[in-house]
Formats: sequence, C-alpha cells, structure tokens
Amino acid sequence: MFGKILIANRGEIAVRVIKACREMGIGSVAVYSEADAAGLHVRLADEAVPVGPPPAVESYLNMERILEAARATGAEAIHPGYGFLSENAAFARLCEERGVVFIGPNSRALGLVGDKVRARQTMEKAGIPTVPGMTSVATTLEEIRAAARTLGYPVMVKASAGGGGKGMRIVCDEDGLVPALEAGRREAKSAFGDDSVYLEKYIEEPRHVEFQVLADNRGHTVHLFERECSIQRRHQKIVEETPSPALDPELRARMGETAVRAMRAAGYNNAGTVEFLLDKDRRFYFLEVNARLQVEHPVTELTTGVDLVRQQILIASGADLSFCQEDLRQRGHAVECRIYAEDPKTNFLPSPGRIAFLREPKGPGIRFDSGVYEGFEVPVYYDPILAKLIVWAEDREAALRRMSAALDDCAILGIHTTAGFLKDVVDHPEFRAGRATTSFIGKFFPSWGRGEEEEDRERLALAAVAYEALARTAGPKGRLGRDGNKDGATPWTTLGRWRAGGES
Amino acid sequence: MSVGVFEYLLHGNFRKISVETRDGNLVAREGERVFEAEVRRITANEIQFCFGGRSVRVYLVRDGERTFVSVDGREFAVSESRPEAGRPGEVDEKTAETSLRVRSPMPGKVTKIAVAEGEEVRKNQTLVIVEAMKMENEIKTAIDGVVKKIHVAVGDLVDAEKILVEIEPEAA
Repeated sequence: MFGKILIANRGEIAVRVIKACREMGIGSVAVYSEADAAGLHVRLADEAVPVGPPPAVESYLNMERILEAARATGAEAIHPGYGFLSENAAFARLCEERGVVFIGPNSRALGLVGDKVRARQTMEKAGIPTVPGMTSVATTLEEIRAAARTLGYPVMVKASAGGGGKGMRIVCDEDGLVPALEAGRREAKSAFGDDSVYLEKYIEEPRHVEFQVLADNRGHTVHLFERECSIQRRHQKIVEETPSPALDPELRARMGETAVRAMRAAGYNNAGTVEFLLDKDRRFYFLEVNARLQVEHPVTELTTGVDLVRQQILIASGADLSFCQEDLRQRGHAVECRIYAEDPKTNFLPSPGRIAFLREPKGPGIRFDSGVYEGFEVPVYYDPILAKLIVWAEDREAALRRMSAALDDCAILGIHTTAGFLKDVVDHPEFRAGRATTSFIGKFFPSWGRGEEEEDRERLALAAVAYEALARTAGPKGRLGRDGNKDGATPWTTLGRWRAGGES
Repeated sequence: MSVGVFEYLLHGNFRKISVETRDGNLVAREGERVFEAEVRRITANEIQFCFGGRSVRVYLVRDGERTFVSVDGREFAVSESRPEAGRPGEVDEKTAETSLRVRSPMPGKVTKIAVAEGEEVRKNQTLVIVEAMKMENEIKTAIDGVVKKIHVAVGDLVDAEKILVEIEPEAA
C-alpha cells in the first residue's frame, strides 16, 4: 500500500479523498492555488503544497508543478479527483513515465475512451448499441430518404462540421425531410462554410442512466448498478438517484452486463462510469465513458455499501477486487443534490463570496460532502459546487421526503445557493412520480421565482430581522401608531401564517 | 412589551414592518398583513418560530448593513438602508449628467471589453464580458447610446454592483 498520496484537486472531492487516505493510514498531500490557501482541503491534509496562481491552467492543470509537488513530498500516487487532470491521458502517461501511480485508468484506455469517435467504433465492434446514424456524409436525396426510413422517424439532421446545435434539425416524418435538409445545409454553410450533413436517430426525451464499474488491474470487472441523472440544467447534472425509477431487474441486468462488456472492450481498469441514453421504449444506447470518479458517486456508495474511493486506492496499489458481481446488492434508495454557489432567482448567475454562516443538515441517513466552512471565501475561479447533500432511506418515497426535509435544514448564508431551488425540484409531482427525463427542468422550471409560499418565507425573514433589531434596540418605541395600526389591541390567542389583518 | 417599526430592502423592494413582542410571542405587521407566532431565540444565529402547530427555525447573520436570513433552506438578504442604485446589469438611475451606469451583476473577472469609449451602441449590444466560476456573462446595454466611459480593464476583478460602463443615451 502507498505511504502517501497527493490529491490533485480542490473543494469537496479533495476533502473526500483526504478522508479516505486518513482512514486507510495513508499520508495526504494537498495542492492549492493562491486563491485556495485557506481551502478546506489545505486545512485537512497532512501536507499542502502551493502550485501557482489562481487560474486553473497555471495551478491545478499545471502538470509539471503537480508532479514536482509529488516528488518533493515523496507521494507515490496521485488521485486526480474529477475535472482538472482526471481524464487527461497525457498526464496519466507522464505519471507512468515518472514512476508515480495515477489513481485512475491506464493511459491507453483513458486515451481510447476520451476520443468519442474511437470509443464509438470500439463499442460498435464489441456489439454495444450506440445511437444509430449514417456512418458517412449524405449525398443524394434518395440516399438520405432511404437512410431515414432505415433509422425510423424521428431523425435528426446534423452538420458534419457541427457543434453548438448549428445545422441541427429534428424531422418527425418524411414530409419534413426536404425542408429540414435545406435549412440544415443553409445553416451549416453559414456557420462552418461546409454544407455537408448526415442523419442520426433522434432520441426523444431520453433518460440519462449510467452504470458504475470497478475493474482491477487483472481484468476482474464488476458493475455497481445504475445512477439516474436525468435532472440536468445546461447539460449539468443537479439531482441524481439510484436505483433508477425507469429500470426493472431484467433491464438493469442487461445494461449492467453491457457496461462491463464496454469497459472490457476498452481495456479499462480502476473506477469508471458508462453513460447510456434510455429511450421511451426502454432501448438503451452507449453515450460515453466517464473515466474518473464521478461527482455523484456517493449514491452508489450508500446503496451498495462499497467505498469507491477506497476501492480506487486499493486497485491502484495492485490489489485484486475482493468481491465479485454476485456479492453486490442494491439496498434502499439514495438521492444526491448538488449545492452550487449560484443564484436561482437570477437565472443561476454565479455567486462567489464569503460564507458568513453555515449549518449542515444532520440526521439518520444524511451525508453532507462539503468543501467549504463558515468564514470561507468562495473564490471566483473554479466550479461553483460547494457541497453535495446525499440521503439514504428504505425506499424512494422515504428518501425524497428525507431529502426535502434535509434541504429545509441546510443554511448557507452570505452567498446565494441552489438549495431552495433543489427543494422545489425534489418536491415536484412529476419528479416524485419518477417520470422526469432530461427535459424536466426546461419543461417545468422555465424560470424560478416567487410563489405564495415564497412570499410567506420573505415575511418570516423580515419578521426575524425585525425581531432581532427590536431586541438590539431594546425597550418600547411606541411608534406603531404612525404605521396606521391605530387599534393597538392585539390578539395573542391565535397563532398562524401571515393573513389579511382586517379580521384581527 | 417591545414595539418597533423597521424599514428594509429585500430583492430591491422597500418593505416596512412593525413588530411587537410580549411574553415570548411576536406580532409582525406589514401593511394589511399580520403574522403571529411564539418566538424563541436558540443561539445568536438561530430563532425559532412556532405557529399553526409547526416549528420553523430561521438562521440569520449580520454583515454590516445587511442581514442574511435562511428560511426553509432559502436565503434572503435583507438590507437596512437603500443601496446607492437599482438592480445591476440593468439601466440604472440617471445621474446628473443623464448618463446610464451599467453594473456587474456578480463578482467576477473582466475577460473582454467589447466596446470603446465614444462608440455608438444599440440596445442589447454586449459591452463587457465578466467571467465567474467558469461561466461567462455578457453584460449588455439596455438602451441605444454612446459609450461615455469605461471603468474597468481586462483582467480586473470586480465586485457585484461595480460600475462597468457609462452610456450616454441617444438624444431623443
């Protein structure tokens, strides 16, 4: 086993890995940028090394500085967390060359799954379903019409030079094909100077379902079931859960086996995730491999009882998996909410700043993976994730109620966070019913603002501030008369929510 | 018994609220609305309200003129006095010279200045790009006019409400 591990990351994930190291009796080395000198990961690690100025490219992405920190501190392995260098094949290769263990897949597998075209080819060769489409650019109308019939409507016209949704058109039936092709070509021409297009099957309102995989260095590969990540905003997951309400045991087993087969085909080792799109007719398609520990890994930990970070470290140190597929069971239901430093009232503008007060939710089945503390100044330079609230309960209904109550109990003051918005998502009947697809947020939360309940909360907030101010100033002011409440007589008998004042 | 009337700013709106406390009970009034509850201070940052058979804990912390309050996991910033100007990113109050100040809606780093002083701009044209937490935010002008003054440079770190650009409205 390693004596010391360097964590090439920051925030909650660095804290998560440091805690795993501590439990395993392994020394931890944090690295930090100038903006993170007071970071929680710096405070918790056994050692901390500065690696450069605030911008990530000059610090957390600076491979030489990080490898130098590992050399200087004698760390034998590097855990990259997620984001930053975690899926960088060149960094994994550099680690291998310098004799430092990269806690993640080997650089060959990392390079393969990181290249979308090669990954797709590898999966097709292994007989794994991918989103069906034309394998070459369309030429004649007849060819395109035939291809569309083979794929089955709806289809999507895509620009081969594409990106950013330019040149993309959804076609529902054959009548719509020609106008969509013309419009797609026109748009592609003006955007990329190239009007070539091709067709792909359009997956309507898909669910995003992914499978956690662990593989040791000798090729023993198991999956730890699925995570449902359909609740997304700007293609960013915000709520994840397991098990997925969309899978039954038969489909779960089939997708799990496919995920294991995909990772074997890629020659993958350590922890990784296979992402699938699942359509309305319960057909699934390979999307991509996330070659790292994922943000949402705790929901898998809570339902399988497997500590994924610990397993990553064990595998990287050369240990064999100590369990096989048959040993793994899903128990109960887990949900994660990502709490971001963003203001849901202003269309999720980033909200960096000082955390003036922090109260973490606590209780049975509640886990709070946090990268911040009271008094911490959330820097403007990095991802806005502050913490993850994860709950476990016996079943989905109980887990969602637990999450809703835990969000009520979470107080982060001084900056704006997404906690209140997440509560509305978790309480939404469509989500409660397990019907949410990737269109959920766009469909049901085109904007987020003040309902009647929110107005009650506002008044309660004002009453609290006034109560505090009153206690501070102390003593009767007798200014009520000026306020138009001349009756003076106040009934103290009934206690209730804000109501119209007339009847009192 | 204690009685007081307080004036606050919440989400840019002026709010006037009166409170009375007696024997652990509180009555708050805002205009025609009345709220009554049992009230108890738990810690310096925690107040408990009981009403309608329900108990709600409210967390609050003072930061200068502002008090941050958390109710049911939602945070509110309540200011004691009116800040110098209106909502950021939108047209501000007219200054004595009738120019319009465009402010940063969030703390961040100026990554691009898309206009020059003296340049004519059209409504919704991007003036400045401010980046924070890997998200770019285009700051636009809400009116037609001429760029009178640019107050920031590329690379500057700005606070929320910082004046970025002044626009001289087009003569009517």
